[in-house]
Order: sequence, then C-alpha cells, then structure tokens
Amino acid sequence: MRDILRQNNADLLREIELLRERLETAASAIPAEVKPCHEWIISFCAQLQATARQNLEDLNLGKDSILPYILSNTQVLTLHVRLFNQRLVGPVLRTRESDRLCLKMLRWIHSTHTLTQRIPMALSDGDFASWPQLNWPTIYFMPPSAQYRLLYLPLFFHEFGHLLYACHEPEMDELVKALQKVIAQFLEPSAQRDDRHAQSEAKRISVIVETWYEWAHELFCDAVGFQMGGLAYAYAFSMYFRALMRDQYHIRPEELERRDHPVTWLRIRLLADRARRMGFGADANVLEDTWNKIAATMGVVEDYYGFYIDDLLPSIQQTIDDMIVEAAPRAFEAHEVSAAELLRLDSTSRPTSPVQLLNQAWRKFLDDEGEYTAWEKNAIEVLINDKDLI
Amino acid sequence: MSVQWLAVQSFQHNQDLLSAINKLSIHLRLQLEGSNDTERAEGANKAREMLSAFFRELETLVKDTEGGESVPVLGANPRLRQLARSFVTAKRNSHRFHSSLFRKGVGCFQQLLNSDRREDRTALLESLEELRVLLEEHMHVDAERVLGEI
Repeated sequence: MRDILRQNNADLLREIELLRERLETAASAIPAEVKPCHEWIISFCAQLQATARQNLEDLNLGKDSILPYILSNTQVLTLHVRLFNQRLVGPVLRTRESDRLCLKMLRWIHSTHTLTQRIPMALSDGDFASWPQLNWPTIYFMPPSAQYRLLYLPLFFHEFGHLLYACHEPEMDELVKALQKVIAQFLEPSAQRDDRHAQSEAKRISVIVETWYEWAHELFCDAVGFQMGGLAYAYAFSMYFRALMRDQYHIRPEELERRDHPVTWLRIRLLADRARRMGFGADANVLEDTWNKIAATMGVVEDYYGFYIDDLLPSIQQTIDDMIVEAAPRAFEAHEVSAAELLRLDSTSRPTSPVQLLNQAWRKFLDDEGEYTAWEKNAIEVLINDKDLI
Repeated sequence: MSVQWLAVQSFQHNQDLLSAINKLSIHLRLQLEGSNDTERAEGANKAREMLSAFFRELETLVKDTEGGESVPVLGANPRLRQLARSFVTAKRNSHRFHSSLFRKGVGCFQQLLNSDRREDRTALLESLEELRVLLEEHMHVDAERVLGEI
C-alpha cells in the first residue's frame, strides 16, 4: 500500500510541476485583467505540491496505522488537482486577445465593490454561469458568440450577484430563512387536520418552502443585475431567454419541486415589478407584453402551482430589497439609463461608465436595429482602447 | 445560467472537511501510539476548530430534518440540506454507523473533540472514520457534477 501511495503522490508532484511550468511560460501572454488570477494559480500550485510532499513524508514514517488517512489525503489531493486543472488552469491558459472586452468588463464589475476588488477572476466558454468561491478566483462563463458583443454583457451583473451573496452568506441566509418562514406561514392551511391528505399537503408545503431558498438566491441575483445595469439588464435577460423553449414559461408541478431557478416568466414578472417601482413603468409594460405575447402564441397559461402567488409578492420583494441593502452593489445612476440622456449622446460622445454604454447599446439596438452592428463594432473598439473608462 | 457553482462549493467544502478529518486522525493515531507529534499539533487544532464550526451549523439543520418531511429545513443550500438528511439517515442505520457521533449525537462529538482522555481519543477516531465515509459518499454526487465521469 505504501508503494502505491508513493507512486501516486510522486506522480501528482510531477503533474503539478508541469502545470506550474506551463503557467509560467504563458505569463507574457496573460492580459493584465487575468494577471491576479494567474499569480494566484501559481501560488496555489505550491500549496498542492506541499500537500503531496506532506503525504510522502507521512508515508516515510513507516506506520501502517495511518495508511488509511494518507490514502484519503491522496484521494482528496487527486480530486483537488483535477478540479484545479480542469476549471482554473484552463480559463487562464485559454485566454486570448478577443477576451479583452469581457475581461475589462469583469474587472470593472469587481472594482465596484470593496469586498470584490481583490478577488481574482477569469473567463471561460460556456452558458452564462460563475463559480463564486471566496477562497478561489471567480470564474465567469459566457457563450463564445456573446463574448464579442455588448448586448449580453449585462448578464455578468447577475453572476456577480452570486459572488456578492457568497461575500455576505450568513446575513443573506438569515434573510432568506425569514422569507421562508413567511411563506410557510402563508401556505399553512387554516384548518388543522390529521389525515393522509393533511400529511401530504404538509410535505408539499415543505418542498415549496425549501425550494424558495434557491429561488430567493436567483431573484436576488436578478435584482443585483437590475440595480447595477438598469434596463440594459432587463432587456438582455428577456432577450436571452424569451425565444427558448416552453419551459421558460411553464414547468410542470412535479418538476418545480426543488428546482434551482424560478420559472423565467416569473423572474420577468419580478424584474418588471422592480423596474416599475424604480420609475420605468413603460419599459416594464413592454417587457411583460413581450412575454405575454409569446406565451399566448404557444398557448401557455401562467401557472406556478402554488410555488408562487401574487399575495407573496410584497414579502418577496421586501426580502430582496433587504438583501440588496446588505450586499450594496453599485447602483446605476439616472444619467446612465435615462432614455432622454442616452438619446442626447451621439456617435462621438464618450460614455461616462460601462453601465451607460450598455444602456446606450440597448437603446440603439431597440431604436435602430439596422445601424446597430456598425455602431457596436465602433463602440467596442473605443471601449477596449479607453484606459480611463474601465 | 447554470447552478453548477453549488456543486463546486459543496465539493470544496467537503474536501476541506476531509483534509481536516485526516489531519486530526493522523495526529490522534500517532499520539495513541506514543508519539507527541508536536509538529502536527497546530494543524490538528485548526482541524478541530473547523469540524466544530461545521457541526454547529449542521446541528440546527439536523434538528429540523429530524422533524420529518413535513418540516422544511430553512436557510440552507440544497447540498447542505441533503447532507443533514444523510446524517439523520446514517444515525438510524446502526449497522453501518455505530460510533459515538451517530449513537450519541453532535453534542457528544463536540466534547470528544476537545477531550485529552485516551478513551475519548479512540472514540473520536472512530467517529471521524465514519464521518469520513458519510462525507465521501455525499461528495460523490458533487464530484460527478463538477468533474464528470471518465
């Protein structure tokens, strides 16, 4: 057993060393935005190597009684190296010049909050997602086609919401717990019975209440998206999802149970409500009308099977508002989203912030789709070369 | 918008717990065999702190879980809720899980963690061994989601 473990740990040491060498060779090609992540990874290689060396030292003690623990430590290290190799090294080594738009945007997003300023980050290909681990760099995923455009960059704000949740997890969990209690009380039957039906109903309510942990989390991230990106986030979110399948509008009750995300149509309802409360009534109506029309064309009737009812809206929104206060993401400023202000900007005007640029992009796309492609190309070039804006 | 991060978070948390269990187990085993093992003492204390904090969090969830399926587990992510359920199921499976952690509960485990008595150290080692099995089984789901299968 000792020899088997020695082989594995020696092999891991070599593997990590190779990775470290490859990362160091690639250093000159790593963009400035990814440098902190690159440096973090190299220092983490040293930690992994130290663990492998410790395992080898423990093996040298010659004690059979501790072999099961060294085996477990070797297994933990092997999985760690595999995760590190697949999910952290990849995004850094794959970095290319065309990532600059996304990387600059992500670096700016991290710079807007004191708790995230120093968290390294990197970009990878994939559907919109993130890995917001506080003790690791945050990895953001974006579909390759969206990486060269402005329109879907606001969806990064949602992913940043996951990182803010992680930064404030104990407080956030308490707020969500309080909401879950409100939902449980609300759904509690008025008359107490003690039969099979009552037991089954109690289980159903329990499932709904637990599901709201994940849903509150996602709705918070949507609210962060709107708080930071304004209407650009709402339009990006709507456009990205509205032409997907029926499941964006309707989910069967048995599939709603412990589902990670609320039905997208419900998220649109809550986004529209948030937009309306912040003074964007007309845009909120457009958003809802669009989804209503698509749903009607498919013959879908809105139904959340008790997982959501309108009476819960005030409690849900109050909780999300409290979570926003706790997390304190950068809020958009009026001039960054106001249609009148955006219309005043001409093609030579320099945007005051990335948020204004993203809202300008959506205004341009919605008002003048034909001219949009040429405008976007120019705007991206200006953004990438502007050293002060981001 | 994927929620794979939940699996990653759970995976990493369990990896850290397993490392802590192994670190403390090696230290306890060497002590029981007559070595002072002073060089590992600080790491073992950190491992104790980590396990203690983990059980403080898990204990509340376990209490909720023991209320049955009609009592929701509140304020916890789905992987942690599942771990609490697995822990309760293990407590009921005395054939596989018979250490003091699963027989006498979390409170007793917390006492064992800080005890210097030789018999307590042996009991703690047994508990850590079974906790490791539970965590490895729990982590299997996360590992599959995060790393896939070959």
